[in-house]
Amino acid sequence: MDEMRHSTDRVAEARPTATTNQETEGSGQGQLRARKKPRISDMPPAPPPAPRLAEYEPIIGTFQLDELRFLAKPLVGKRAKMVNSTALGGGVAEMLNRLVPLLDELGVKTNWEVITGGNDFFDVTKAFHNALHGADIILTQQARDVFLRTTEQNRQRIKFEEEFIVIHDPQPAGLITSREGSSARWVWRCHIDLSHPNPDVWNFLRPMVESYDAAVFSSPAFAHSLGIPQALFYPCIDPLSEKNKDLDDSYVQQVCDNFGIDRSRPIVTQISRFDRLKDPVGVIRAYKMARKYVDCQLVLAGGGAADDPEGAVVLREVYEAAGDDPDIIILDLPPWSALEINALQRASTIVVQKSLKEGFGLTVTEALWKGKPTIASAVGGIPTQVIDRQTGVLVNSVEGCAYQIRYLLTHPEFGAQLGRNGREHVKENFLMTTNARRWLLLFRILTGLIT
Amino acid sequence: MMTQESIPAAHQARTPFEFKSAAHLLFIERQRACNIDELGEGLRSCSEESIFQHTFRTLEEHHFIKEGFSNDFAQWAYMELREVGLGERLASLDVREFTALVTLRSRIIGIVEEFASANPKARARSAAAPFYFCSSRTIVLPMHRTASNLDEFIDCLRMVSPHSLHYHFIEARLRRKLESNDFSIWLERDLGLKREASLLNEIDIYTSTLEGVRRKIIQILENSP
Repeated sequence: MDEMRHSTDRVAEARPTATTNQETEGSGQGQLRARKKPRISDMPPAPPPAPRLAEYEPIIGTFQLDELRFLAKPLVGKRAKMVNSTALGGGVAEMLNRLVPLLDELGVKTNWEVITGGNDFFDVTKAFHNALHGADIILTQQARDVFLRTTEQNRQRIKFEEEFIVIHDPQPAGLITSREGSSARWVWRCHIDLSHPNPDVWNFLRPMVESYDAAVFSSPAFAHSLGIPQALFYPCIDPLSEKNKDLDDSYVQQVCDNFGIDRSRPIVTQISRFDRLKDPVGVIRAYKMARKYVDCQLVLAGGGAADDPEGAVVLREVYEAAGDDPDIIILDLPPWSALEINALQRASTIVVQKSLKEGFGLTVTEALWKGKPTIASAVGGIPTQVIDRQTGVLVNSVEGCAYQIRYLLTHPEFGAQLGRNGREHVKENFLMTTNARRWLLLFRILTGLIT
Repeated sequence: MMTQESIPAAHQARTPFEFKSAAHLLFIERQRACNIDELGEGLRSCSEESIFQHTFRTLEEHHFIKEGFSNDFAQWAYMELREVGLGERLASLDVREFTALVTLRSRIIGIVEEFASANPKARARSAAAPFYFCSSRTIVLPMHRTASNLDEFIDCLRMVSPHSLHYHFIEARLRRKLESNDFSIWLERDLGLKREASLLNEIDIYTSTLEGVRRKIIQILENSP
């Protein structure tokens, strides 16, 4: 029998370290000027405590906070349970880490449970994940049995005594069988792109999904014709997290000094994994086109090269495309570099997200929240955030990206207006407090507490 | 120019103004449109909550934009369908002219149908991305803030959320079935400020952000003799 484990064990295996283009051997950047070695811990720091509700007041205002409390009032004393497949790593765990204490403080006592399973189960759910994104797999009877058997083990282990049960993503979706005889409201929160699912896998999961009281999707494009209500919750960021909280300028300066970034000159930045779908080479080409007309530096910062063979290949391609340009700064950062990423975004004059394909694009949300003029591809969830020439600029090509870099660097007032609008857009629609508001609304609607 | 301090505060309202707010949750509906004809079909079959979401409510969601954003139908026509003529006509819709969603729906359908029959080639054109119909479920929230005179009213106005402003100033006409808003009705009925009530109705919500609207309302009331 497979050893039982949390899926988080796999996340913990990754320990990439920070490298800059000065430190990587054989990358052909010998002529770059010397930069200091960045000081990033090779161990993840302990996570900071979750903020209290009152700490959001300076950000969203007293009245908005009051609205949250009024919304929660009829729900005080009720209980909710969130169930997902990992306690650490990944966007869902990051979000639950902040959402659970917020709901708790608003009076909805919220428990968070993580399902367990063996290697075989997580291999099956990984295959399901890829299949739901459209991968062509054959759904074997053995895979179905593994999924259902582990679901049953978790069903026996987890108690569902709360008034609201929220199951996140496909891995624990089968727990819906526990609802029999209970008056709880069950919600399936799907965080993944279901727009083109593999029909075999979707047809296997669909009856489970339709047994819930409601489903929640991150985009209308992910929804399906289901016999249950489907709510739309946009992904969100926490303005008080390490990645988004306000920073002292001295810290921003220190990070730039560490990475050899000159703050007296314009900085164009893309933050993303070294992944072809993020088109880092396209960003370098756009920068080189723009650089003929405007002075700037390009920062490409992200991770994924240390624990992903494809990421390492992409990183090599990026170094090759950068050549010996001393103004291209390539940073392969470990996953616990949230503060450094935050500082890099804040130091940037413009933020770029030239993805070829994208889910929602939370790096765009982060840039908009920091009031940065943002140039982003019109793909995935990006147009929901970047309303062209209102909250940022949408592009469809390398050439378009190059032109917008030139334009925004030479029209800072326009960039500042985009930045102001972008921040407001995030404040209204994509913050953790808005997410809590949506959950309270859904709970009230599901229990008929709508007046 | 009169300052806030010089506004006569003694004039007590017959009934206090009770500030409320509204919270909305988005639901994804079954209708989708990939071209003009499908947009027309969706508009005919969707719920009134859907019409509300893509017109009144979207204005609130984008309250920080002061020009160039009117409603989701216009935005889709511009950005995804690339039909500037249709986008322009849809964008010219002013939600304040409508006190019922049924008439707003008819007007939008009329614009789409007129455009489609005048531009038959446009009917075959597919949008870059579909239009997904959504709807909005609303919960009204009592804010436990009341104003009994003009000073108190202005104080509250400075603090209320954009959601509350939208609820009283823009959505109100659907509730009241009147081409006015909660503020104007209260100012005229309970404080006798007929001129100010009328001036409030002249504020252009399509060339201002909601914060701009807030400032203009306060300015009008501070200048009240």
